Amino acid sequence: MKKIWKSIWKYIRKETWSPYVAGALLGVVGILAVWLSNNLLGASGAFENLAGLLGKAIAPATFDNMYFNFIMPPGFTYGVAMLIGLFFGGMLGAATSSTLKWGKKDAANDDKQWKRIFGPQVWKRWVLAFVGAIILEYAAGIAGGCTSGLAISGGMLLAPAAFLFIAGMFMSGIITALIIYRRRY
Amino acid sequence: MTTLVIALVLGIFFGFALNKAGLTKYHKIVNVFRFTDMAVLQFMMTALVVSMIGLYGLRALGVIEFPNIPATYVVGNILGGLVFGVGMALTGY
Repeated sequence: MKKIWKSIWKYIRKETWSPYVAGALLGVVGILAVWLSNNLLGASGAFENLAGLLGKAIAPATFDNMYFNFIMPPGFTYGVAMLIGLFFGGMLGAATSSTLKWGKKDAANDDKQWKRIFGPQVWKRWVLAFVGAIILEYAAGIAGGCTSGLAISGGMLLAPAAFLFIAGMFMSGIITALIIYRRRY
Repeated sequence: MTTLVIALVLGIFFGFALNKAGLTKYHKIVNVFRFTDMAVLQFMMTALVVSMIGLYGLRALGVIEFPNIPATYVVGNILGGLVFGVGMALTGY
């Protein structure tokens, strides 16, 4: 028995799991979300709830519209709590494999492939991340969810929206990667 | 309140799974679009299959009821997906 626990612990300490094992874990989390709280997994919606909260406080007139009143009402929602958990869960994952880069030298950008394509400048990565995140969040607003909130949560309920979204995502993702990588594709 | 605690705990496992699958890294996300690393698809599809079986099984047993299914509006879903893919391949998040 002790041996089994030891090998499980050893697997937890590994930096990268088999995507099948990690995916199965997420599948169980998805089932539990519906079972325990009759809710779906999601990440992007929480940002909109928080943005709405902030917007209503600063510029109530601008945020007094259909979207923020009915579709994405602001507040400390289920999704916001999940987003906080997501952040610390990711940290926990890195901590268990001793790859947490908090305060380390290359913490701001440690991706070799990124540096090879875009250059070594840290600010470039942060600017691109910021711009890209705006695109992501805006797109998630149009589609009604992101990879987790629509593609996975919707997909597991066999919602047609999820599969339309996945198709669109891969189509433009492949084209964008082709443009960025060109001959290195 | 209880629901928020559940959300927090599930979120931790969610983030943990993403990190362990390596999906918190730029090259993992972008390489699926270059067909050189299929981890994203393997991860997503495994999660989908496991939760589909679980959810439909539990519903058949009468244990759970499905929450609101994400709305289908063809143009919006596809357009959103198309824009989303650009952001995803650009930033790798």
